[in-house]
Amino acid sequence: MTRADSLHIAGADRRTKTSRRGGRTFVQVLGRILTYVLVAAGAVATATPFVWLILSSFKSLQEVVLFPPTFFPKKPVFSNFREVFSMIPFGRYYLNSIITSVIPTVATVLTSSMTGMGFAKYRFAGRSLLFWIILSTMMVPFPATIVPLYVMVSRAGLVNTYAGLIVVGLSSAFGIFMMRQFIMSIPDELLDAARIDGASEFRIFLQVVMPLTKPAVATLTLFTFTNHWGAYIWPLIVVNSDRLRTLPLAIPYFSGQYFSFQNLINAASLMSIAPVLVLFMFTQRYFVQGIALTGLKS
Amino acid sequence: MNPGSSAAVAVRRRPFTWHRLQKLVAPYVFISPGVIFYLMVTIIPMIWGFWISFHKWSIIWPAHPWVGLANYRALLTEDLFWTSLRNTAVYTAGVVPVELALALMVALLLNTKLRGRGIFRLLYYLPVVTPLSISAVIWQWIYHPHVGLLNWLMRVLRLPTHDWLQEIGTAMLAVVIVGIWSGVGYRMVIFLAALQGIPQTYYEAAMIDGASGFALFRHITLPLLKPATLFVLVTSVMSSFQVFGLVNVLTQGGPLDATNVVVYYIYKRAFGDLQFGLAAAASFVLFAIILVITAIQWKLVGREVSYE
Repeated sequence: MTRADSLHIAGADRRTKTSRRGGRTFVQVLGRILTYVLVAAGAVATATPFVWLILSSFKSLQEVVLFPPTFFPKKPVFSNFREVFSMIPFGRYYLNSIITSVIPTVATVLTSSMTGMGFAKYRFAGRSLLFWIILSTMMVPFPATIVPLYVMVSRAGLVNTYAGLIVVGLSSAFGIFMMRQFIMSIPDELLDAARIDGASEFRIFLQVVMPLTKPAVATLTLFTFTNHWGAYIWPLIVVNSDRLRTLPLAIPYFSGQYFSFQNLINAASLMSIAPVLVLFMFTQRYFVQGIALTGLKS
Repeated sequence: MNPGSSAAVAVRRRPFTWHRLQKLVAPYVFISPGVIFYLMVTIIPMIWGFWISFHKWSIIWPAHPWVGLANYRALLTEDLFWTSLRNTAVYTAGVVPVELALALMVALLLNTKLRGRGIFRLLYYLPVVTPLSISAVIWQWIYHPHVGLLNWLMRVLRLPTHDWLQEIGTAMLAVVIVGIWSGVGYRMVIFLAALQGIPQTYYEAAMIDGASGFALFRHITLPLLKPATLFVLVTSVMSSFQVFGLVNVLTQGGPLDATNVVVYYIYKRAFGDLQFGLAAAASFVLFAIILVITAIQWKLVGREVSYE
């Protein structure tokens, strides 16, 4: 922070010098205003659907179908959020989404860290081949494997089960790559010191390496959780009973059945997005740092 | 390692070999979850999918007769498959360049000392964390011909209104817009991370040499963004080729297959018509196309980018 600040001051210094020479302050001020205008315009365009969603979820049924549409709810109602639960088994869908997102996320973070650790900190026969194979699976589009995966899962008797939903999400090549890159930046001396103290390899992993990977773990958690929370094609295929529907399946289904109840659909959508928004707010400060430190640095 | 007395060695040997053994076994233990997972969930399915694509295969019939290349032949002579390929290409051509340009622009703007950067970053990223199918539901309402926000705006601006998702001329555009909307934020963060990785000293050195403004951008920022650009390009093309959720919720491939994309085609063939062999063949064609396109991008943009 302080380093960045001093650089900033240095930059400002330089700018005053150039402005003294060429009198560019006006252009700079203009550029600055233009920057704000552009950034704000883009943000407004991006956020409008959300603002619209939020405002509509507080409107009554009569108001939500008005044309021309009202922007702010004339008389905000809060009952929409309650009514969703009585109209559809929303709590059940929510629980399904939590189960099918939390378990794969925890598993992915654990398996990616372990595998990343193996590739980053040990030399062994077949290391580069195996790593290359895992990396290259990133090139395989998931939809291209759904047919054989479905056949496998159905033969295992896992169609219409939580296990069938979860099983395809227990690790991630991206996560392995990211954790490997991150763990490689941890100095070997730290691990050797722990070895001399008699720590086992697994203990080194848990107590020396893992605590240092916080930004990467935070980023990976956000990515993975977001992915699973929004997973669509696999649940669509593997689940056909209403009891196991997750939110990304249930909301479009709800919307298709009761399209005119837009106030309720909006309330349900808003509640469905809430967890990822909260998670993002908590992890976002690690986020750019996490990305910068891993894959893209090279 | 230095043996002092034999007694000392005897005391130390046991923990020492244990350590050696551990170091020998540990890497395999560590990598096994990842390796087993990819074996089961990607590599075996890939091979098996290839096998299935040479059979007449349906989940409801017990027999799967070998048909050779018949599935591939059927695909390549079927108009709908070509339509879906063309639609996928159109979608990709619509989404990728705009997404890339917008993401780069926003990242450059946000990389300046801007007040409220965090808030802006959050706003731009919101669509990325929103489940695609829920985004589609939100946009369905915006595109609604009678009560939608878009037609209201068109009327205010005295422009012609449309039934955006139901007209052949506008349906793909409508899907592309949602695709861009939900993808820019992620690409922006990648660019932002890359921009923050450029050492400030490069700029200072160049400024001492008298470079300014556009020259700095042209000769420092742009070349150093090359790896990030390649990454964004490759991932963006890959995900565009896999578009499914948006289409399935917004248009179901319609109207008249105007938005029928490859993955939608695969989904319908497999889980609508139960023609698993044909769907597996189509999956392989999709995989091959993505592989070729990625290789081309790598060749064109990425020659000097290494990932080690």
